[in-house]
Formats: sequence, structure tokens, C-alpha cells
Amino acid sequence: MTLLELLLPVLYFALIIAITALSARLASIAVGRLMSRSAPQVAAGARRFAAILVALVGSVLAIQELGINSAILLLVVAFFGVAVLIALREQLENFGAKYFTDIYSPYKVGDSIRIREHSGKVIEINATSTVLITPDDQLVSIPNSVFMREVVVNTSPQAWQELTIPLSIGSGVDLPTFESDLMRSLGKLRLRLDRRYPPVLTIKSRTVLSTELTLTIMLRRPEEREPLATEVAKRVSEAIQRAQGPRPRTPTPKPSPAAAEAGSAPSKAPH
Amino acid sequence: MAPPPTRRNSAAPTRAALPTEPISLCINTQTPLLQFLMPPQKRELMPPMEGNTDLVGLVEGVDYRYSPGGVTRMVFPLVRRLLESGVLGETDWISLNPTAPPMVRFHGVTLHSMALEPSRMANYARVKESIWGAVHGLDSEDPDEAMFWSPDFSDYGYYNRITAERMRQLDAQHDFDLFYIHDFQQLPVGEMLDTLKPKLFRWHIPFDEGQIPRPWKEQLSRYLNSYDVVVVSTSGYLKELQAFGHTGEARRIYPYVDPSDFSRPSPEAAEAICRRHGLSAEQPFVLVVGRMDPMKGQDRAIRAFASVAGDYPELQLVLVGNGSFSSAGKGLGLSKSSQWRAELEAQVRLLGLESRVLFTGHVGQSDLDGLYERCEMTLLPSVREGFGLVVVEGWLHHKPVLVTRRAGVAELIKDGRNGMVFDPEQPDGLATKMRKLLESASLRRRLGTAGATTARQCSIEAAALAEARLFAEVLES
Repeated sequence: MTLLELLLPVLYFALIIAITALSARLASIAVGRLMSRSAPQVAAGARRFAAILVALVGSVLAIQELGINSAILLLVVAFFGVAVLIALREQLENFGAKYFTDIYSPYKVGDSIRIREHSGKVIEINATSTVLITPDDQLVSIPNSVFMREVVVNTSPQAWQELTIPLSIGSGVDLPTFESDLMRSLGKLRLRLDRRYPPVLTIKSRTVLSTELTLTIMLRRPEEREPLATEVAKRVSEAIQRAQGPRPRTPTPKPSPAAAEAGSAPSKAPH
Repeated sequence: MAPPPTRRNSAAPTRAALPTEPISLCINTQTPLLQFLMPPQKRELMPPMEGNTDLVGLVEGVDYRYSPGGVTRMVFPLVRRLLESGVLGETDWISLNPTAPPMVRFHGVTLHSMALEPSRMANYARVKESIWGAVHGLDSEDPDEAMFWSPDFSDYGYYNRITAERMRQLDAQHDFDLFYIHDFQQLPVGEMLDTLKPKLFRWHIPFDEGQIPRPWKEQLSRYLNSYDVVVVSTSGYLKELQAFGHTGEARRIYPYVDPSDFSRPSPEAAEAICRRHGLSAEQPFVLVVGRMDPMKGQDRAIRAFASVAGDYPELQLVLVGNGSFSSAGKGLGLSKSSQWRAELEAQVRLLGLESRVLFTGHVGQSDLDGLYERCEMTLLPSVREGFGLVVVEGWLHHKPVLVTRRAGVAELIKDGRNGMVFDPEQPDGLATKMRKLLESASLRRRLGTAGATTARQCSIEAAALAEARLFAEVLES
């Protein structure tokens, strides 16, 4: 066996990995554009999913070039996945519910809500449950999955007016510039919004890679909730793209557009 | 089960214990403590300002000067006092100062300067002027919500956001114990600063519930409630804040001066100072100290003076003051002060009082002491005044004061006992009271002596104690 024959599979492997990395990035961008009118968190998740899928397929193809039987590898991964799903079924259900309630929930921390026989003020929404404090100072922890199945009534004043949109900006985005630009853009929608309450951007958390934010706007008419959510999402997406410039500096989860289409889940009270 | 904490909005300083360990503090004021005068080239050649480099080698009046107004006369002396007494440890101070080096160490305090692009600066300035005008009742029309949706407001938000971000960055380095935000211009910082640490806000301007435009109430209320404690300057404002619907904690701490900053020059020295400003020996005068701003009401003083001037041919009216950081051309680029001075000079010409009214412009502290010492009375004719520390300064020189009812300090005055108060809505009120004071030397002496006692409530000692107790209370509660 010549040296070339030895090296050739390695070269193919490296080439496929490089092409895979590029394809994953392109797929992420393409999905982001396709979902530019979806809720920012949903779009970010879809982009990540597309990138991971392409990366997985590319990795399997690359591994085959090294002479490893990818069928066995895939089987191991599949069994592992099924085992995880069975073992952590309940937790995953709550995690999933958390993901969706973050985006579509008709309540947030600080709101007063009623669900089943419980009512109180939301003091925490963690990965698995939502914690209420009742009027008689009792703590009630409700699994997030319950919120996906049950009717939730938000009894906070002006709850119907409030539209909260979670979004995330990468570390390459300058927050003050993004916020200022977004506020200017949202100012164009002022006739559709309660003019006493200009939009508010609140920081939820920060990491080295990204900043998680919540945009809160106050509607004037409840029936305009959905079109406004879509329009605001589009403007958020555009503001993020402007703030990032022509080329994003880091491949951080890039919040694209979109909005919380509260009310889209029929079991939920308007947000 | 522990009882819920009770809300205490006390007019009197609390009796909490003083802090046991030095507090690490981050202060934010819009107005910077120092304005740098040297050309940009020299600024660039300055030694590295990072770390503990003091402003060694720079000369006050040549390379830099103190900003006129409350930051220099109140905030900085308080910080120094609290540093000296060990209440404060690491202290960082963030201000808007586009022409300053980014970071300077000055008397134990690290001054951080924020810059703003000229286009944003102009928009920011317009919003803050709108708020200022509305709160002081200067707007003829009731403002609506349009301001919140204007491009100007997004730049106002931008400035406050970059300030909050800078404070957060510094907090990551220094782990501050608390944040103290001063000035209404910086009100949104409390909401923007994502920290669980205590945030205090000092509202320096008048707070009159009825004066806040109705469409702004929700927004201002949200900003105010983002602070752990809001500090106002008078008991009257505290009541107004509660009437406004503020649900958070609030305190009253009187504004203050450091009496050691004021000296009482000898009669000879005071005469020399007055001569330097064109006042002859023994020439009586009424003193008005305040920046050139329509809100300061110098036009009212001129009108009242005109009606008594005929009966007192020797009497002069002396107007001391220039623009503030915000209103002078070197600050935020507005020329409100020079416009107002031109209007006042035209008014003086129209009344034929050119030889009787003196505009001194800005004067240094020693000259101001001489003018206070020699005047017959100190007059505060403001349209609206958050407090009116010049009244306290007059008291420190044992001078009678004649004060508009629309000034915060008026709540300390018992008319005819430690000063006189006039109703600015009554056109002859000021002239009548001015005449009454001019007629009686014994009354002037009596009011001046009583006023000197009242001034103790506005001393830096009293304020430093109140602020230290407030810090301790906030940190312990």
C-alpha cells in the first residue's frame, strides 16, 4: 500500500468535514431566512436543528471514508437516543413545554394566573416547572407540561394588551445600537400600540455567546395581536441583521424575526 | 411566618446604624464633575489614565475646570466626605463627557466619561429639555406621548443604555455594593441596569404630581419603581411622589452645602471684591445668584427692582451666573444661557436701568463670598426651583433671603422669621417684600441670623449622615 493510498481516505475525510461545516452554515442561514416571520426563538431553534442535521449526515459520510461501518455507529446512536427518551420522558416533556411556553406563553414572571384549581403570582419559570405564590403565601410548583394541556387564565391587569417576544442576540451585536434602532423601527407602529407604553427591552440573561432579551409591547386592540406579532417579529429580525452588519462575527444562535403568536394555542388565554 | 416588610417613606433621615465596612459605590450623573479645557492633542498626550493615575500636573482653570452646579457643589463634596469618613471604599463615577479622557482618577474617585455622537447628542438633549420644561411647568401646552415614540427618544434611550452597560461592565470588575443614579436625565438607567444589587435614585428637580404630564405618568412611574429607593429634596416632594402613586421606598434628604467652602471675608476684602466687579464702596445691592436660564426668573427680579429703584437711587441689582453644563455652548451644544442673557439685557435697556443692573457672569468662590458678604439681601426669583442652595449660601453669610414660594427651600422658611417668601403669581409681591426688607436694617439682621441657624439643616454633615444611614439601611434591609 502506497503512502498516497493511506492518505487518500484521510484527505477525503477532511474534505467532507470541511464541506459539511460549510453546508451546515448555509443550511442554517437558509432556514433562518425561510423562517424570518416566525418567533425569534423558534427560528433560532430551527437553524440550530438544520445545522446539526447537516453536520450529522456529513459526519457519517466522512466516517465511511475511513472504512468504519457507519451502520453500526448509527445503530448505537439510535439505541442511545431511544434509551435517553425512555429514561427522561417526563423531564423532556417539561423541557419541551418550557421551550414552547417561553415563546407562546400567555404569562410571564410577575403575572397573576389561574390554572386548574391553583391561582397566584408567577415567581419563577424554570426548566421543569412554573412556581406560583398563592394569596395565602403558599408555593405551588406546576410542571410545565401541564401548561401545554390546561387552560391558563392570566388575571393580571392589562394582560390582554401585553405582547412579550423573547429574542436572543449574539455577542457581536451591540445592544444599545440594536435597541435604539429597534425602537425607531417600532415607532412606526405607534398607531397600533398603546402610546402610553413605549416598547421595553428587558435583559433576561447573558452568556459569553449571547444575550437573552424580552421585548414587551402594549397593544391597542386585542384583535390586532397576531398581525402585530408578525410585523414586530419582522422588525426585530431586520434590526438584528442591521446590527450584525453584512457578515455575522460568530455563528451564535441568531434570532431571526418573528413574534409570539400568543393565542395560537387554543387552550391558552390571550397573552 | 415572617410578617411582610412594611414600606417606609420617611421625611426624616432614618436612624439606621452606619455602614460597618467601606461601601463600593458606582455613581452616575449626567453632568460630569470636570470639564477638560486643554486641546484634544494635549488630551491624547496625557499620561495613561488607567489605574490609579491622578490628575497630576494638570492645572485647574487651565487644563480643566469644575462643572458649575449641583454635581460640583453637592455630589462631589458628599463623595469626598464619605470617602474620608470610611463609609465609601472603591468609588466609580460615570458621566456624559464627550471631550474628556475615558477614565481619570481624581481625589480617590475614578471618573468615567461617556461619549455620544453629535447627532445622538442633539436628540438626547431635546428629550431631556422637554422633560425639564414639563416638570418645571415651562411648557405652554401639555405634552403628549409623542415624545416616547420619536427618534429623539430612541437616542435618549441609547445614552441611558450605554451608561447602564458601562456600569454593568464596571460592576463585573469591582463588584459594587450599590448604584446611585442622580439626575432625571438618567432615570431609565435603573430599569436598564440588570443587577440584583440595590439601586438608588436621587431626583434633584421639583416633583409636583400635578406638573407631570398625564400621558407620561405610566412611563415615569415604571422608571421610578425600578429603583430600591428614590430620594427627593423636600418633604413636599415626598408627599407629591406618594400622590403620584409611587409604590416603592422614598426618602427626603435636603440638599446641602459644605460650610467650610464658604469664608466670610473682612469688610475691606469684600469692598475690594465689589470694586473689582464695578460696585463702589458702600453701594447697596440686591444679589441674585443663578445660571442664566429663564427658569431662574431673573426677569422677575429686574421688574421688581425697577419698581423700587426710584426710591433707592444708590441701590444696584447684581446678577451672578453663566450657563450650566447643559445650557452653555460648551456643554451639550445649546446656547440657552446666552440667549437668555441677551433678553435680560434688552429688558434692562427698555427699563432704562443700564447703570443699575450688573451682569457679572460666572465668578469664583472667593468673589462670590465677597458679594454675599456685602449684599443687602439674597433674592431667589425662580419660576420653579428644585431646592435653591443659593438661599443656604446667603444664610451662611447671615443675609436675609427673599424666596419664591415655588422653590423647594421655601418649606424651610417661616415668613418674617428666617426669611421672606413671595408668591410669584402676584406681580407686586416681590417688590413689596423687597421694599420691606430695604426699609429695615434690624429686620435684615434678624432674618439673617435666624437663617444661619436654619442653614444647619442643609449642611454636608447632616446630609452625609443621612446618606450613610440610607446606604446602610438599603444594604441591610
